[in-house]
Amino acid sequence: MISQLITYIYFFLIQIFPALGGEMGGILAQQQRFPKPEFETGYTQPSPTTPEPRLTAWEYIDVSVLVLVMSLAAWFALKRRSRKGLLWLSVFSLVYFGFIREGCVCSVGSIQNIALTLFDPAYAISIPIILFFTLPLLFTLFFGRVFCASACPLGVIQDLVIIKPLKLPQWLRKTLGLIPYIYLGLAVLLAATSSEFIICRYDPFVGIFRMGAEFSMIILGIAFLLLGMFVARPYCRFLCPYGVLLGWMSKFSRFHLNITPSQCIQCKLCEQSCPFDAIDKPSEKLSVENKKLNKRRFSIFLLLIPVWIILGGFSMSKVHSFLSKAHPDVYLAELLIEHPELKDDPENIDIQTFLSSGKTMEHLVEEAKLVKQKYFTGSWILGCFLGLAIGVLLMNQYVLRRRKDYTPNKVDCYSCGRCMDYCPVRPTSNLRKMAEGESATAKNEKGISEKTN
Amino acid sequence: MAKTNHKENNHKPPLPGDYEGLQGNLKKVSLNTAIISAIFAVVISTLLLLNYLQLAKNDPTESTTLTALTQRLADDPGNEELKEEIRAFDLMARKAFFTAKWQVKTAGWLLLICGIVLVVSLRYYFSLRSKIDLPENSQVSEQAQRILSSKWILYSGSALIIIALIASYFSVDQLKGYDIETFSENTIDESIEVIDLTNEGQTNDSGLIENEIEEPLEGSVTEPEATITTDNLQGGSQQKPVDNRSDLLLIEQQKKQSNSFRGPLGQGVFYVNNISVKWDVNSGENIKWKVEIPLSGYNSPIIWNDKLFLTGANSTERWVYCFDKKNGKLLWKHQANNIAGSPATPPKTTDDTGLAAPSVVTDGNYVVAIFGTGDVVCLNMDGKRIWAKNLGVPDNHYGHSSSLVAWKEKVFVQYDTNKGGRMLALHFQTGEILWDVSRANHISWASPILAEIDGKMQIVTSSEPSVAGHDIETGKQLWKVDCMMGEVGPSPAFANGLVFAANEYATLAAIDPEKGKIVWEDNYYLPEVASPVAADGLLYIATTYGILACYDVHTGNKYWEADYGEGFYSSPVMADGKLFAIDMNGVVHIVKADRELQKMGDIPMGEKVMTTPAFTDGCIFVRGNKNLYCIGK
Repeated sequence: MISQLITYIYFFLIQIFPALGGEMGGILAQQQRFPKPEFETGYTQPSPTTPEPRLTAWEYIDVSVLVLVMSLAAWFALKRRSRKGLLWLSVFSLVYFGFIREGCVCSVGSIQNIALTLFDPAYAISIPIILFFTLPLLFTLFFGRVFCASACPLGVIQDLVIIKPLKLPQWLRKTLGLIPYIYLGLAVLLAATSSEFIICRYDPFVGIFRMGAEFSMIILGIAFLLLGMFVARPYCRFLCPYGVLLGWMSKFSRFHLNITPSQCIQCKLCEQSCPFDAIDKPSEKLSVENKKLNKRRFSIFLLLIPVWIILGGFSMSKVHSFLSKAHPDVYLAELLIEHPELKDDPENIDIQTFLSSGKTMEHLVEEAKLVKQKYFTGSWILGCFLGLAIGVLLMNQYVLRRRKDYTPNKVDCYSCGRCMDYCPVRPTSNLRKMAEGESATAKNEKGISEKTN
Repeated sequence: MAKTNHKENNHKPPLPGDYEGLQGNLKKVSLNTAIISAIFAVVISTLLLLNYLQLAKNDPTESTTLTALTQRLADDPGNEELKEEIRAFDLMARKAFFTAKWQVKTAGWLLLICGIVLVVSLRYYFSLRSKIDLPENSQVSEQAQRILSSKWILYSGSALIIIALIASYFSVDQLKGYDIETFSENTIDESIEVIDLTNEGQTNDSGLIENEIEEPLEGSVTEPEATITTDNLQGGSQQKPVDNRSDLLLIEQQKKQSNSFRGPLGQGVFYVNNISVKWDVNSGENIKWKVEIPLSGYNSPIIWNDKLFLTGANSTERWVYCFDKKNGKLLWKHQANNIAGSPATPPKTTDDTGLAAPSVVTDGNYVVAIFGTGDVVCLNMDGKRIWAKNLGVPDNHYGHSSSLVAWKEKVFVQYDTNKGGRMLALHFQTGEILWDVSRANHISWASPILAEIDGKMQIVTSSEPSVAGHDIETGKQLWKVDCMMGEVGPSPAFANGLVFAANEYATLAAIDPEKGKIVWEDNYYLPEVASPVAADGLLYIATTYGILACYDVHTGNKYWEADYGEGFYSSPVMADGKLFAIDMNGVVHIVKADRELQKMGDIPMGEKVMTTPAFTDGCIFVRGNKNLYCIGK
């Protein structure tokens, strides 16, 4: 079963990104080369059959489930304010989108499909993939990152293993927060050039969902979960490329989860409740001198943004040749040029396939050169994007926002609802009901005492 | 320290006495459960790791013993005891392999269960222990944190740029240093067959391709009597040096195959050795195999490695067949049906043409077939349909018969019908029409050929009223010579830089394609169906009234003629220094490729043959009206 799974996964992945063949080919080749008795036994080898593709109807059912889960999550987070509801919804998503649907197609990976279809007119993208990409962004624009809270199987598997989350210093979070931008840029570049789908290739949890993968991938998945016990949602926070887009959407979300249902009483109970350090404290009062300093630094970093863009573009364009090795044509052409003796290696499936294809070396080199040219342009764009991200992040450090209350940071908050549970304040309508029996203050005190014990 | 799961477990208000005791017990139970499941998880992980290491070290699928035993069996194929031993060992290896797989699968599930138990019990344990943390009494001001963060972002951004620049310094662009000559020296197989007729047609393997690349034209034909090398494919011996080396490499690959009608590039010359000149269909001498072809057709065998392709059709069905070249076994067949635009009723054709007259073409990855209905179907080498389309039902009173040729990613179709002349290029992989040009030609039945002219590959066609060359990339007509008339059936030939075209009631013309002029003409013997073939300074014509004639390519001087009495529809072809021509009665006439007539054999196939044979790996493949034959030692 596991070997079959590996085979299916391999063929699935190899169709999407052929460069995998080089790495995983070894395992499969071993299975394909499994020695058979080399003489007549009367046994007829059955002809292999191709499994039927998943019914299109199921794809739309998946989309419907996604919409339903996100709607429920939005309702639990915003209306019901139920952490328990969000928790059980996330368990459902883990089972359905993770273990039953085996983590594919996921919204995180769909970035690559979208990038590829934008740059390769021959690539036909299916409507469900487009919906998987756009719907979470749309929901986030209205309700915050409810997709991360309860629908994304990659997120919820990490969320469920959080045991003793450590508080990370701000400078570390901000610095590590650059990685998703790099990952996003690289993933788009590699997908747009038809090189690889790196998000899928390095998806740490897909091996767990499918109960089988390359050994190193299983180890990576387990390592992420073990780390996730103490550093909450490490993949979401410091790697997830889709999280970058969700963060942008969430920043402008129309209705976002609030910690307190009405007036914050500054009790500070929620201050330590967020395992993702996504609660912004009330802003401190700055001295006039510090205000001036902030303004000056803000202006400097604002002016430096174009410099970062040019520097980023220039430096990344210099590595376009290195990056282009991710493309199978470039990889093969350079391998054959560097090691022409490999053409005699019958074990090298890539080279043997090429040699038997009828394609000439010059043709391959010409194609590889065209790919490199695309990479040159793509690397410039990638570098400019990264430069812009660095510049804006630096500038953002000096953007002053006045906050009176404890509020979730819209960009970083996953709408998991933990903070709501810590808030002793009841919604206004509840308070009215309470007032009929006993005073609201007494109720609040009771709430606090519950927490304290 | 943050407490995250506080409320998830529904805390109740403080309870006295026994309830607190119960809570204490639950804490203990959850902690113990967590510890036990953690130990289990560690044990299972260790076992999994050991299993992985063991498999990596002693992979049953890579058993050296089994390999050694099978090698021994190859030396002693009748050893039953050894076979039993291999069976037993093979079974053992399989058991070991599948047991290991079962272990991994089971352990995986156990690990998952342990993981779930561990997480649930730990979460429960910590939720019971949880108490509200006091708010952080941070000494670091918000302003200080901002400055620190910006510093680190600055450092990281700068580091990213510096790393990129350093990486660029170390990364080498191998493509810049690419040199085709160096690569050719290293990659071209020394076993490539190059037929050298220097010593009166004797083959000589010493003419390696490197020499031809370095000095492609030196020492080639300067006068008819000079020694000659058989290589029509490289632009002819008097032409400019072949500068496109990728073409050269592809040509070298095609020389090993018979990928289109009349062999590589459709020129009628096969680059093979050790072809039998003696066989007997009745006794089976030198007949490797003979199989019946399910449906008839006048297309010829096309071969790539071990696969041989044919098509067959009747008034209701059209099929592509793939045979195993080694034993004649039908590997797969594919029905060309359900094609958009295909006519419900096929066009009327005469019995001597039918709906499956054109031969298929292959590039080793795909095989493309065309039928008299205008249906074109592309299959992969396993018979799976890649694409199919209809080019419009051809208005042809005998039936469409022009075969396909291909170069790199393009398949070329000469589609001359009563509605006018047309040339198309289709993309091999997608079927996309890359170009489609109309031309002022009438209906024809000839097939296009490919020829390297003036250092570039061209499509050369023969049709009323002109013989013409078309650009591969655009289909643009590059030159034409008006010399054909009537219903043109014979395809052109190419050798020594000259194009040869002939047709009954018209002429036999040798054309200089670069100048667009006729070099010489003759009209004594003219073919009606069989195409001329030229190589090594000699041109051969086979007529419908049974004459085989040999001419000098440069002067048109006739060297010899032979009257076989029975006409030729099958085109004569060159292979292994000999000319093979099959008459309509199915007698294979073998003549030495020379200026003097030297008959080497007249061997009956026992049935009518209208198609052209193919040659690879020392074997001849002949399609009779009913059977397919493989002739070889």
